[in-house]
Amino acid sequence: MKLRSLVKTSLFAAAGLLATTSLHAADTVKVGVLHSLSGTMAISETSLRDILLFTFDEINAKGGVLGKMIEPVVVDGASNWPLFAEKAKQLLEQDKTAVTFGCWTSVSRKSVLPVFEEKKGLLFYPVQYEGEELSPNIFYTAEAVGQQATPAIDYLLAQGVKKFYLLGTDYVYPQTTNLVLLEYLLSKGVPLENIGGGFKKDETGKIIAAGKYTPFSHTDYQQIIAEIKQFSAGGNAAVVSTLNGDTNVPFFKEYAAAGLTAESCPVVSFSISEDEFRGLPAKQLVGQLGCWTYFQSIKSPANEKFLANFQAWLAKSTVPGIVKEGRVTCSPMVLSYDGVYLWKAAVEKAGSFDVDKVTAALESGISFDGPGGTVTTQKNHHVTKNVFIGETKADGQFKILKTFDNVYGEPFLKGTFKAK
Amino acid sequence: MRGATAPDAAQASIRATIDQALTSTDSAEQTKLIRSLSVTGGPYAAQILALWREGNIFLYKAPDGKKIPVTLVETKDAQGLQAAIKVIDGTPLTGPDGKPISLKFSLLESAETDASLRKAIKDVNDMAALADPDVKLRIRAVQSVANEQNPAKLPALEARLTLEQDPLVKRTIHESIALITLKTGEMKQRIAACVELGNLGSIPSQDALKATVTSATKEGQADLAKAADTALSQIASHVTFVNTIGTMFRGLSLGSILLVVAIGLAITFGLMGVINMAHGELLVVGAYTTYVVQCIFGPGLAISPFGFSFSIPGFHATGAAYDAYFILALPFSFIMAALVGVALERCVIRFLYSRPLESLLATWGVSLLLQQLFRLTFGSNNVQVDSPSWLSGNWTVNDILFGWNRVFVIVFAVLIIVLTWLVLNKTPLGLLIRAVMQKRDMAACMGVRTERVNMLTFGFGSGLAGLAGAFLSQVGNVGPSLGQSYIVDSFMTVVVGGVGNIIGTVISALGIGIVDQSLQQILGNPVLGKILVLGAIILFLQWKPQGLFVTKSRSLES
Repeated sequence: MKLRSLVKTSLFAAAGLLATTSLHAADTVKVGVLHSLSGTMAISETSLRDILLFTFDEINAKGGVLGKMIEPVVVDGASNWPLFAEKAKQLLEQDKTAVTFGCWTSVSRKSVLPVFEEKKGLLFYPVQYEGEELSPNIFYTAEAVGQQATPAIDYLLAQGVKKFYLLGTDYVYPQTTNLVLLEYLLSKGVPLENIGGGFKKDETGKIIAAGKYTPFSHTDYQQIIAEIKQFSAGGNAAVVSTLNGDTNVPFFKEYAAAGLTAESCPVVSFSISEDEFRGLPAKQLVGQLGCWTYFQSIKSPANEKFLANFQAWLAKSTVPGIVKEGRVTCSPMVLSYDGVYLWKAAVEKAGSFDVDKVTAALESGISFDGPGGTVTTQKNHHVTKNVFIGETKADGQFKILKTFDNVYGEPFLKGTFKAK
Repeated sequence: MRGATAPDAAQASIRATIDQALTSTDSAEQTKLIRSLSVTGGPYAAQILALWREGNIFLYKAPDGKKIPVTLVETKDAQGLQAAIKVIDGTPLTGPDGKPISLKFSLLESAETDASLRKAIKDVNDMAALADPDVKLRIRAVQSVANEQNPAKLPALEARLTLEQDPLVKRTIHESIALITLKTGEMKQRIAACVELGNLGSIPSQDALKATVTSATKEGQADLAKAADTALSQIASHVTFVNTIGTMFRGLSLGSILLVVAIGLAITFGLMGVINMAHGELLVVGAYTTYVVQCIFGPGLAISPFGFSFSIPGFHATGAAYDAYFILALPFSFIMAALVGVALERCVIRFLYSRPLESLLATWGVSLLLQQLFRLTFGSNNVQVDSPSWLSGNWTVNDILFGWNRVFVIVFAVLIIVLTWLVLNKTPLGLLIRAVMQKRDMAACMGVRTERVNMLTFGFGSGLAGLAGAFLSQVGNVGPSLGQSYIVDSFMTVVVGGVGNIIGTVISALGIGIVDQSLQQILGNPVLGKILVLGAIILFLQWKPQGLFVTKSRSLES
């Protein structure tokens, strides 16, 4: 009985949804949301779907974009990279979305890139990435390496750190970032023997990989921690970590057990934001560093309003399966939020939803006062924004230590730093 | 107020200096003022500076425009206000009317610190920590004073050396004095320092010695260069020794984890011949049980499986009482996993004893069901399991590090093996188990209730998996898919050891662990080692398909 009534209700609900959409089709604009709502990446990406739906509701409540209501088309990439391309095709061909917000991992972005280029779509990408890419059909609100990794290194150098141990999960983002960092460190006068983690050279002796890499969901960090312990014994050392997601738990547990602390050998992590702390023992990470273009702890009227509105929206939300308890905001979420408003401003400037016109408007430089401060689009499809260095607190929030204002987003950094 | 024993006049002058630094707007002057405290400040200054560093000193703007540095008392009044205490003299902040002022924390501007100031504060803290009662903090302080290589700090270290009782701290102080002299002493002293550092096998001084070799070669100081070089090779051989022993220990601990994880499977698969793909999920049952017990000791827990919501109240224990949760979690994990195992055996496996392939598929299905059940109950995010404080330290001997959690897993593995051996060989149940596993029909003829023995054996194996899960919560993540990452390792260990042989499992687990860690050490790559081990296992099984130890059992002959 129960099951049958459940099926009935959901059928009615679906029918109702279809009816409303067709009714209002004339004065709405379709916007795609392409994130993994199932599979390994769902933990992170579901938060982005939530923030996007919140942003659409916020904009619709104020009259929509060019008088049209935003109608989200949410599809599930299911942490399956080829499926991302298929879903992107569906959004562009079948739903004819004016713009799509989506992707988390670089591999999913690389997989949808040809689709967006071929079908002349527009994608906003919100998550820190390795650069070395510039598609005319993608807008990168994400942090480029120069907006996260190199400012963090600058901060550490100013703190008197002389030795850097590079550690990451084995995929494209850490590998590329560490190669750029290696060049950057050498250009800052850090000698090669002070960069730990090991190097891989090709037959000509050129370094093709720097740092130590572990696979996804690696659990045994004993050997690496022993190496770091010896590396940092002489003091003034730091670990630059691009370890992804849950491998941070065994890493930091082992790190604490070896008697290493944020004082003796700080770890700066590029992949741990407030949202990740929901699944990490924050207590063991106290004092470790993070670097993002937004922290929830930013004290500004814009951020306070944003937080209050998001929590109020969550409390009322009827999105099936949405998590309402203990929600936090983090950089990828805010960059998604900023992306929607930048797109809105560009559409209004262009006076049209046409991808070419909107892109031209975005390239002309559009600003938005977001929760993390003012963000401005650049001609090279990246965004100028503030960069913050933060220190982890026991409650999973960051205490902001340093702010770099208006950092330019430059995707092509490899080869630009010359060793001293 | 540890160590706050300086006389009042000294305290007042320290407070005045810090107050001056706090109100100064010139960063260089701030740093200079704080540095002036590094020798005289002591713990009293360190205590106040720690507040500054953590952002707990605020600049209150007085009506006349002056900025007054204040701290806040911990208790909040009804409006959420906290009484303010002036930094300059430790008295309450008062308004023009003489009444104390309370302030709202969120509206205050905290006194900022920049990089050079933080270093200056750290310097003061280190010097104060030289006399700290905690040995670990003392060693850390000595080391960070040494890393600076500042000769002004030598008298403080030498003074401490005469007072110091702890041999480990003494060694560190000797090392630090040598390190400082190496940089700043006269030629003879510098050479002597090299010799001392070499004899001590001082790992932290490697960087400084390398720098000495380079500079001495450049300046033609052949004796010094030679001494530093000798010291470096002495230290290098010490490092090799430390690494070898360390690797053996790490291998032992990895082997113990494999063993703990696989021992349950050695019983259900090895003895009973059931290919149980849900073994990993039984580990997860143990891990989540640990989580639930922890929550009951702590703040309580709200779970909502299938739309129902339960809330379990917690005891709000703290300190040692809270840490004790882990001890209680162990038996609970065993019981919970054993119950799940018994249910699995009754509902699925007992119909499939003679059909191993079907049992493989059926248990795989069960594992998917269980994973989804965990997701629905505890959410798809990983949950946080805290390590008790007595598991997160380490024991360092001669630079070799023995983490408590690793020592614990080795002891734990030994206990589990002994327990299993006792149950199988010294109890009536064990006798029945062995009888049924050797020849089921004959045992049944002799009046053994084989069905019941099967159920209990499977329950025992599952319970051991639960215990392993409780331990795994201490070294890694607890999430719905935890079991997946261990299922392959478990089968690998049991198969290599020889199906049906517990001792074989022990030896194969330890062997795999040590080989894996040694290869990691030699190759410097965390993945390559594992790949080589797997490759070696494939070749080994070609040569000995039945594993290390072949069990002569009738049940396996067919």
